[in-house]
Amino acid sequence: MPRTRGTFLLQLAVKNLTRYKRRTAITATAIGFGVAIFVAMASMLDGFEAESNRNLARYELGSAAVAHPEYWDDREQYPLDLVVENAEAVLEAFDRASIAAAPRVAFQGELVVHYDPFPEDGSLHLAFYGIDPVRDVTVFDLADGIVEGEFLGENEYGLLIGRWLADRLGAEIGFPVTVLARTRDGFHQIIDLEIAGIFETPNPVVDRGAVFLPISTAELYLEMRGAVTSLHLALGESVPGTADLEPARQALSQALPQAGGAEEESQARGEEEQPPVVLSFADMTRELAEAMEVEKASNNVVLFLLAVIAVVGISNTMLMSVLEREREVGMMRAVGVRNAEIRKVFMFEAAGIGLIGSLIGITFSIGLVAFMVHVGIDYGAMIEDIDMGYRTGTVLYGVWNPATMVAATAFAVVVAGVTSFLPTSRILRRPVSESLRRS
Amino acid sequence: MISAQVVHKTYIDGETQVHALRGIDLNIGEAEFLAIAGPSGSGKSTLLNIIGCIDTPDSGEVQIDGELVTGRKTRDLVEIRRAKIGFVFQNFNLIPVLTAYENVAMSLALLGLREAEIRERSMTMLAEVGLQGMEDRRPSRLSGGQQQRVAVARALVKEPLIVLADEPTANLDSETGEDVLKLMLELNSRLGTTFVFSTHDQMVMEYARRLCLLHDGLIVSDEHRSA
Ligand SMILES: Nc1ncnc2c1ncn2[C@@H]1O[C@H](COP(=O)(O)OP(=O)(O)O)[C@@H](O)[C@H]1O
Ligand SMILES: [Mg+2]
Repeated sequence: MPRTRGTFLLQLAVKNLTRYKRRTAITATAIGFGVAIFVAMASMLDGFEAESNRNLARYELGSAAVAHPEYWDDREQYPLDLVVENAEAVLEAFDRASIAAAPRVAFQGELVVHYDPFPEDGSLHLAFYGIDPVRDVTVFDLADGIVEGEFLGENEYGLLIGRWLADRLGAEIGFPVTVLARTRDGFHQIIDLEIAGIFETPNPVVDRGAVFLPISTAELYLEMRGAVTSLHLALGESVPGTADLEPARQALSQALPQAGGAEEESQARGEEEQPPVVLSFADMTRELAEAMEVEKASNNVVLFLLAVIAVVGISNTMLMSVLEREREVGMMRAVGVRNAEIRKVFMFEAAGIGLIGSLIGITFSIGLVAFMVHVGIDYGAMIEDIDMGYRTGTVLYGVWNPATMVAATAFAVVVAGVTSFLPTSRILRRPVSESLRRS
Repeated sequence: MISAQVVHKTYIDGETQVHALRGIDLNIGEAEFLAIAGPSGSGKSTLLNIIGCIDTPDSGEVQIDGELVTGRKTRDLVEIRRAKIGFVFQNFNLIPVLTAYENVAMSLALLGLREAEIRERSMTMLAEVGLQGMEDRRPSRLSGGQQQRVAVARALVKEPLIVLADEPTANLDSETGEDVLKLMLELNSRLGTTFVFSTHDQMVMEYARRLCLLHDGLIVSDEHRSA
């Protein structure tokens, strides 16, 4: 189509938009409302996911981890038989490759506290982590979260506990506690420790359910014989899950005994001796990511609502406009404007309403998103006790999401444009001579 | 140039059948200035619509430019109207959001002409109909007579084979109507464009060079007159 013809149709559509200002404004505002809610919801959900992943990386997972290939699936049982043997050699290999690595021994235990100095007797099943105070800070941010006492240093028998837990136990620095656990071989063990530090992190799972002690103490009491349950790596990526794992894999293979003879050997020793593997961030967060997808799908309801608003609003508005202009359309058809061209004019018009609506919506949503990014929404006590496994605090923050804004705009424009076809068809079906007879 | 042969058209309006045209024979030659006159309901609009390829006859044949148009697809008829036929309507039918210039330029934009040519021809045509200086006015800022001049310019600018005007003066006072008629007559003699217009107004008939009287869907007289 020569340029002038297309331009003419587009210009006509734009001018027609100014014809029913009130009607256009009302429909556009309704669409804008839908767009704004969708964009704001998406911002919140993306912010939620980003925050959860960041907190997982900062306090629990790092960029990636090294573990026994079956460890991750069984991790909730805190198995001490699916371990990385000879952790020292693996750490040395990562040191040589200049990859920050921190070993952890995770085990389940019972924390027992007694009346005086504690306000009352009690015990709690918790996740215990033996950590290397020097290496841990190169991967995790736990040390920065200490709000009372100090991070594990000189004190071989120190224990770090979260603020939330400390408040509920009435724990203070220096209070003695007893930990009941089992060794690697399954024997009961008792460890006497004292509270060395209280931490507060944005990760509620760590704050409420994890306590930390020196890895040397865990090694000794649990008779680990040089093994750890996992090693965590810091690879310097800015968004969790985006790190290149190849260097880590290479470094790990350096640390492992050569293949070949070693393979037969390992078969002889049974599955416990399988060589460790590098677990990516995605490997370790699969279930949460799937749950997150479900949460995100809830925004599809809003998207659907937006579509309904656009379809209903546009079809009504366009139907009125089309019918009011029937004689004009008849004239256009009489002088030789093709039906497809008339459709195009009305489609541009409807798409224009969709675009105006989206711009209104995006203007709105910029305000909403700015609020959510800078102030956040405090869900407070509402979700305090609902543990869905997400690592987020009670204040949820949004993120800027220009791609979502563009996508919502495109969606509204396309839906609006397509919707114009129905009302337009209504008068294009009629004979031209009848349209011309309308008064 | 244009011929209609034994054209019949019946409308079904609910229970009743209206036999709007009952065997029309009409040949229109080049540069004619032809009035189709007759009382309301005699079938004038129906005849013009059929000649203008807006409507199709139930039986009979219509030829335009030596080409049989009866039985052609709607799609083809649009193209014929676009290229060969200019329309002027009783109630002007301009697009209210477009200026006088844009309403005229529309005809040429649809033909896919280049910007410069569209501008040149539209401006010239607006000057021809006496609207120089009013190109940028929207219809609401033009009088009825001026609006009908824009409509005449819109029909003529594409240099059609024929201009069909259905009661072009019916919505104008007699003086303005006469002016529009004089304009059409002048353009007819100067440019040689064929004009066919319908009317039920005695004064308007006076201007016709050829007058066909229509009664109940039949041509009852066909008279050529000298200027
Ligand atoms: N679309 C239509 N449906 C039903 N009847 C129609 C239609 N168009 C015209 N008629 C009838 O056909 C007859 C001729 O109409 P028309 O051609 O408009 O006459 P005129 O233009 O001379 O007034 C009238 O009786 C009119 O009511
Ligand atoms: Mg009529």
